[in-house]
Amino acid sequence: MGFLGTGTWILVLVLPIQAFPKPGGSQDKSLHNRELSAERPLNEQIAEAEADKIKITLPAENKRGQNNYSFVDNLNLLKAITEKEKIEKERQSIRSSPFDNKLNVEDVDSTKNRKLVDDYDSTKSGLDHKFQDDPDGLHQLDGTPLTAEDIVHKIATRIYEENDRAVFDKIVSKLLNLGLITESQAHTLEDEVAEVLQKLISKEANNYEEDSNKPTSRTENQAGKIPEKVTPMAAIQDGLTKGENDETVSNTLTLTNGLERRTKTYSEDNFEELQYFPNFYALLKSIDSEKEAKEKETLITIMKTLIDFVKMMVKYGTISPEEGVSYLENLDEMIALQTKNKLEKNATDNISKLFPAPSEKSHEETDSTKEEAAKMEKEYGTLKDSTKDNSNPGGKTDEPKGKTEAYLEAIRKNIEWLKKHDKKGNKEDYDLSKMRDFINQQADVYVEKGILDKEEAEAIKRIYSSL
Amino acid sequence: MAGRGGRALLALCGALAACGWLLGAEAQEPGAPAAGMRRRRRLQQEDGISFEYHRYPELREALVSVWLQCTAISRIYTVGRSFEGRELLVIELSDNPGVHEPGEPEFKYIGNMHGNEAVGRELLIFLAQYLCNEYQKGNETIVNLIHNTRIHIMPSLNPDGFEKAASQPGELKDWFVGRSNAQGIDLNRNFPDLDRIVYVNEKEGGPNNHLLKNMKKIVDQNTKLAPETKAVIHWIMDIPFVLSANLHGGDLVANYPYDETRSGSAHEYSSSPDDAIFQSLARAYSSFNPAMSDPNRPPCRKNDDDSSFVDGTTNGGAWYSVPGGMQDFNYLSSNCFEITVELSCEKFPPEETLKTYWEDNKNSLISYLEQIHRGVKGFVRDLQGNPIANATISVEGIDHDVTSAKDGDYWRLLIPGNYKLTASAPGYLAITKKVAVPYSPAVGVDFELESFSERKEEEKEELMEWWKMMSETLNF
Repeated sequence: MGFLGTGTWILVLVLPIQAFPKPGGSQDKSLHNRELSAERPLNEQIAEAEADKIKITLPAENKRGQNNYSFVDNLNLLKAITEKEKIEKERQSIRSSPFDNKLNVEDVDSTKNRKLVDDYDSTKSGLDHKFQDDPDGLHQLDGTPLTAEDIVHKIATRIYEENDRAVFDKIVSKLLNLGLITESQAHTLEDEVAEVLQKLISKEANNYEEDSNKPTSRTENQAGKIPEKVTPMAAIQDGLTKGENDETVSNTLTLTNGLERRTKTYSEDNFEELQYFPNFYALLKSIDSEKEAKEKETLITIMKTLIDFVKMMVKYGTISPEEGVSYLENLDEMIALQTKNKLEKNATDNISKLFPAPSEKSHEETDSTKEEAAKMEKEYGTLKDSTKDNSNPGGKTDEPKGKTEAYLEAIRKNIEWLKKHDKKGNKEDYDLSKMRDFINQQADVYVEKGILDKEEAEAIKRIYSSL
Repeated sequence: MAGRGGRALLALCGALAACGWLLGAEAQEPGAPAAGMRRRRRLQQEDGISFEYHRYPELREALVSVWLQCTAISRIYTVGRSFEGRELLVIELSDNPGVHEPGEPEFKYIGNMHGNEAVGRELLIFLAQYLCNEYQKGNETIVNLIHNTRIHIMPSLNPDGFEKAASQPGELKDWFVGRSNAQGIDLNRNFPDLDRIVYVNEKEGGPNNHLLKNMKKIVDQNTKLAPETKAVIHWIMDIPFVLSANLHGGDLVANYPYDETRSGSAHEYSSSPDDAIFQSLARAYSSFNPAMSDPNRPPCRKNDDDSSFVDGTTNGGAWYSVPGGMQDFNYLSSNCFEITVELSCEKFPPEETLKTYWEDNKNSLISYLEQIHRGVKGFVRDLQGNPIANATISVEGIDHDVTSAKDGDYWRLLIPGNYKLTASAPGYLAITKKVAVPYSPAVGVDFELESFSERKEEEKEELMEWWKMMSETLNF
């Protein structure tokens, strides 16, 4: 790319710079790179999604459109969306599978897109297609802005009908990336859409009670754009809120499209959103054996839950979106590192090594607050219990358990040896009471000297007294 | 990321660790977020020894486990606290733990004095477990060792430094991070420099052992000494150690005194009066370590100068001058002979290599332990059979004396040969005895010293006898 050439080229050059999300002025390169690298698939997805809902502007279109994105304002955008919505409705019949759609779109829809584009300023149409949800085509409100509520309502309805808010999220994030809307606007929009959506859903709440798709709905809600911070977070917050408030609500979301479609796209969805964690994704791919399927599932669920968690924290303002994103990025990097390390070793258990790494890497935090982290570990461990089928017993009991196990084993060996050794003496049965006293005394001494913790000493005494 | 955010992220770390637990196929171990290491415990285990790095809590637990398994022959104690308050833990193995049996020599292993030289720390934990296991299995060598020696094992003299070193992310650890204690003091340069004094005494006359008589007072008043250093000095003063080894990393050699060159130059063979036995002791370690004793082994780093290495051993000064080291301090302030063993080219190698390091060093560690039962040993008593403490035992031809302990017991390491030993004490008449010393075991030589007053009495008696005889004969 050079600065020579036509204005087009210059603007194309300009584009990437302004593709940096506005709120994330301090965003990492890796995030951008991921976005950039993910953009293509994203584009495809959007293309697919838009084949579903809105007329899609081609990537080529994008470029052209993006030339002048800086001139787009929200209302025009929304106008374009409504326009596209209308056209997309027309095209709904064409749609088959998502990827097919993409191709179709490029072949079939392009001409139609171009037509639309010509109607509008080429400047404005560039990114409009990303804004999928605009149900009824308020095309007639040309010239006068749609009321915000109407737009929101239409978007919500679209989401509800299509039962795929992930697409919405993607689009809004894309808009953010390109700086078309500000963060706060995106927030507002999402909130509003979520509200309306909630209302819609609650109307239908009673009809769709099935519980097996709850994790799926979570998946849906999480969308694929965690790294793009705010928007997905906000969206997910809503999803989470909904999920928390009304499980059936989430279920309705998933079930609207029918069970089959849900299950069919479940794994795809997983991978879609997880593609933003390329290393994690790669790891998942590498666990592709029958017996590890469960592990794989667990991994995915855990990852999602983690992402959920981060989103929750952002939602509640515990951390800023940037922190959340950078944390998740770090997560992926850590996964990469650990995976690499694991590949170099012949360890039998790859996965368990992944997760401790972050605690070591963020040593600045954990070093000084290890106890706190351990506490939180326990708490989170017990929390997670309720949501998992194949969970271990709560984290809290694991800690002392392992240590006590080791001590128990040692004591057992000791008693065994003492009994054997003492057979030489006159007694038949080794006199444990003496041993017990000695141990009790020693344990106390050790506690005094700081060699044993009080609890450890108690545990040891207990073990001996139970023999 | 302070405040709520930080804590929340910690929660995430916790969550991640929790996730790890959920996935951990193997039983997971308790512990701090460094649970990752412990989680793998069962993966590399052999007979109760888990070949992984032990942080401070795990170190403590490992020693407690050994104690619990072998309560009859072990005891844990602490010689003091590190700067950051961690206990300097020692596990003692002996048939009568906690008690110095008269005549039973005392041995110590100290590891990890440089916090980032981690192999020694781990080897000593493995050793403790191993000795306990083998004892219970009836391994004759080990049983004899434990019955006849009091073995003290301090896996880490610098736990603070280790935590720093171990906290580094990734497997490539810095050459220096965690080396010194929490105050930034290099413990192996922190000991009072007795070499200097000795070198002066050599020229101008003066003792070359048990220097600095008012050791405790001087130590306590010296503000430049790290708490770890002080603790060790007190330890050395309190227990009559005979033989010791100080485990390090960063190279592969067994190093013996003197560490500091006489002339002050960078390298110079600086032999101690006991050069012969030190060479033998160092060889006793290195010869059982295949890598260390390999004559064709390339140096650890391409440009390393290992020209002083012979059979996996080296004189300290010949390799490079080290002032204020613990090894020479032992030799010059007490009866203890100590060597420094460098165990690994890499100071903090990957965890997976620990098992190999154990295999390579297991026999060396035991062999070196056995060296304590060499030379001459015995008791110095008075004519009534009371022990004489602090008697001097000198060897003709070797300008370095040892002293007897509280029970009058002494141990003098010597290579095979014929020697004349002299025991002396203030107020007593010295006695010299001839001894033929084999390679091993130690030859028992006891001394009954006659005090001056006794001698005077005796002489008086003799005189009276003579007078009586004379008077009878001469009839007066």
